[in-house]
Amino acid sequence: MLRALAAVVVAFAASALVLLVSGARPLPALAALVAGAVGDRFALTDTLLKTCPLLLTGLAVALAFRCGFWNIGAEGQLLMGALAATAVGRTTGAATFPLPLLAALGAATAAGALWATLAALLRVLRGVNEIVATIMLNFIAARLVGWAVHGPLMEAAGRYPQSDPVPTAALLPMVAGRVHLGVALAAALAAVIWALLFRTSVGFRWRVVGDNAQAARVAGFSPERAVLTAMLASGALAGLAGGIEVLGVTGRLFEQFSSGQGYTAIAVALLARLHPAGVTLAALFFGALAAGSGAMQRVAGVSAVFVAIVQAGTLLALLALEASRGRTIAAAEHP
Amino acid sequence: MLGRRLLLLFVVAFALGGCEREQRSTGFRVALLSPGPISDAGWNAAAYEGLLAVRDQLGVEVSQVETRTPPEFEEAFRDYARRGFQLVIGHGFEFQDAAAKVAPDFPRTVFLTTSGSTVRPNVAPLVFRLEDATFVLGYLAARLQPDGKACAVGGMDIPSVRGTFVAFEAGAKHARPDYPVTVSYIGGWDDLGAARAATLALIDRGCRYVFQNADAAGPGVFQAARERGIYAFGSNRVQHEVAPTAVLASAVIDIPHAFVAVARDVKDGRFQARPIEETMADGTIAVVYNPALAAVVPADVRHDVDALAAAVRARTVAVPYAAL
Repeated sequence: MLRALAAVVVAFAASALVLLVSGARPLPALAALVAGAVGDRFALTDTLLKTCPLLLTGLAVALAFRCGFWNIGAEGQLLMGALAATAVGRTTGAATFPLPLLAALGAATAAGALWATLAALLRVLRGVNEIVATIMLNFIAARLVGWAVHGPLMEAAGRYPQSDPVPTAALLPMVAGRVHLGVALAAALAAVIWALLFRTSVGFRWRVVGDNAQAARVAGFSPERAVLTAMLASGALAGLAGGIEVLGVTGRLFEQFSSGQGYTAIAVALLARLHPAGVTLAALFFGALAAGSGAMQRVAGVSAVFVAIVQAGTLLALLALEASRGRTIAAAEHP
Repeated sequence: MLGRRLLLLFVVAFALGGCEREQRSTGFRVALLSPGPISDAGWNAAAYEGLLAVRDQLGVEVSQVETRTPPEFEEAFRDYARRGFQLVIGHGFEFQDAAAKVAPDFPRTVFLTTSGSTVRPNVAPLVFRLEDATFVLGYLAARLQPDGKACAVGGMDIPSVRGTFVAFEAGAKHARPDYPVTVSYIGGWDDLGAARAATLALIDRGCRYVFQNADAAGPGVFQAARERGIYAFGSNRVQHEVAPTAVLASAVIDIPHAFVAVARDVKDGRFQARPIEETMADGTIAVVYNPALAAVVPADVRHDVDALAAAVRARTVAVPYAAL
């Protein structure tokens, strides 16, 4: 905890330097960053809303990495989930609540799982490198969303590449203000994934396969089956993230739907050392950073480019301190 | 007991402190939501210049934020409004829905969208009829090479962009009724590589004059034009500074002039929510040539193009306007 605090201090000091170079006054800018993340209810709401997709995709990435599958495709799986949730939510929206909502969430989960399974099958059956496969599937998913909002899902007015709003019966209920039920669902899922990974035989197999596929095979586990089931779960989580984003925040699908949450998820998972509890904290941190950086532009007049540099610099500082901690532990264990 | 009272106090303080509808006002403040980087030397850069002009000419406080997705539009609109900004400008057609959604909660803030048609008591579109200028550019292309082909590369396929292409093609056909114009969209505003690749593909299919309306991805179009030795047309801002050997002329909007006029009305309490239209006749829209490439346009062509521009200004030639 002390070390994490130290990392944040170092990160802020580095950011202050960057801000100084950019010509902004560092202290008001960082104050705006903090206020924009946790300053009042508006800020807290933004932080929670931005945390939700990062938490789910972060869990998705962590789970896949645990099983030794480099799933870079959370982005594409999220997009497919958003696409499916929109399509199903729009077509079933006339039914009574909560049927359309459940159908839409189910569709999002299934679509994400399907998209992830494609990459898993390619590796298991054909030996295709999953990094390449998942990245390529990201592009295909982005194009599919683009096609859908210019084609079958385009709004009736036909003006902007976006779908019509999803009917209310398919939307997530609000818990408080703009905070939707999906946030609570994501937090609960973090606990579920932790239990799955560390308290079930399925999770044990995933971890053994990830640590050493050869040893897993000798022990009688099928690495292929483990990869397939892990990717089913991983894709389901990422797909759900996209579905929740549509049903809880945007209310509709549009071109350029994701602002790269599926990629940020990789940083979230790595920073958390692939642990679900850590993913929750890391997602909160990145969510706060995203919310605060918007405020840094709006309140302190720092340009978006420098905001991005501050974000990346903070991540680097955290990773560097994490790495140095790893070395200290290693040195203590092997003097 | 004390614990419960404290908790209650905390909840009340939280509820009061976080009230989203609060409106503090300290002086006149104007904010700009740009859909892309203000370093794009085009659409967003022009808007930022407009914002700075408002700051300098009216002596008011300004702020700018880059927003990419509808949730970000809404978040930024809401945040500026609750902080008491009197005028918030969403720079583009795509900001209409978010403005209409947020506006009822903040009746004392004016939400202006550049392009669009949505009008509410405190929401109004400021429409730049860039079509006037792209019509003239299309005509110029067709006159420069009557047996050639022209093309256009856009960011997203949205009415405000498509409209400039429709007018570009209409201008070309004004010179020669069967003049071919091909249009391509890259599906975003940032990918220079995609813009370059799309332009190269169009050039391979015979395009000799390319018009771009792709914001930050636009320089990719100029790059392709330069590589293959064809001429390009810029949009929204004087763009021959971006690619001095490739950009022959630009369809330009005088955004500073338009922003200052609207901001002054809002500041003086004279603003009425209604669609505002800026055209070539007002002088807000213009065609600006690259002086370094002036020799490329023969005198007779230049004469005819100037005559057409005068006709557009006088409204004796019908330029197709996009339905927004």
